[in-house]
Amino acid sequence: MARVKFLCDADRCIECNACVTACKNEHEVPWGINRRRVVTINDGKPGERSVSMACMHCTDAPCAAVCPVSCFYTTADAVVLHSKDLCIGCGYCFYACPFGAPQYPKVGNFGSRGKMDKCTYCAGGPEDDFSTAEFEKYGRNRLAEGKLPLCAEMCSTKSLLAGDGDIIASIYKERVMKRGYGSGAWGWKTAYRETVAV
Amino acid sequence: MAKSDEKNAETGVDRRSFFRAGGGAAVVAAAAIVPGADVALAAESASDRAKPRYRESEHVKTFYRVNRY
Repeated sequence: MARVKFLCDADRCIECNACVTACKNEHEVPWGINRRRVVTINDGKPGERSVSMACMHCTDAPCAAVCPVSCFYTTADAVVLHSKDLCIGCGYCFYACPFGAPQYPKVGNFGSRGKMDKCTYCAGGPEDDFSTAEFEKYGRNRLAEGKLPLCAEMCSTKSLLAGDGDIIASIYKERVMKRGYGSGAWGWKTAYRETVAV
Repeated sequence: MAKSDEKNAETGVDRRSFFRAGGGAAVVAAAAIVPGADVALAAESASDRAKPRYRESEHVKTFYRVNRY
């Protein structure tokens, strides 16, 4: 069975932020939350690199390991999703995540947090596919429509890859053979290291 | 007769009976809400929500093809 992954080719990313905008618009993400964002390292200096980051849907997800109410679950195609009905907004997952993916809406004064929100790999949530409840809580379910995450589909430089891990790895390999290794597939060892036992 | 008793006699509502009635109403309301909450939590069964949704459709194949350029 296919195991879906994200791969950001940092040698191609031009920090246009189209992936961020596309995600926000597609899922009608509330104000103050970005499920995806572009991080630039050594900004303005020679050799600067930009990486588009969101939830990497880790093989052994640390967010799921620390969740006190077990609101996370992994689908058969390895997408890490969560239930907003179960989430208590404790914030543990935010501290556990190596990519800073979990986000929280501000729901009131005194720093009170709402339900956690993160990238769903455009795969919705535990509600029925294509239902209004699913869209309101988690956004559109493109995976069930036979599509891939919109951030990757509309990347202008084809920097952000999504889909079957084996296929996108082979695409990346072809690029590396042509141009050299470059900065590598950032975050892959952290998210999908092969030594992990699940 | 104490002053507060006079007040109760006027309104016809005793403090203790007022709170007792309030507590009863809360129990009835909670009983009405709980079945609805169960439905909201379990929209999809555990096996249904974890089923694979990715498929290699024509749309996805096109994405892979154009990424090889």
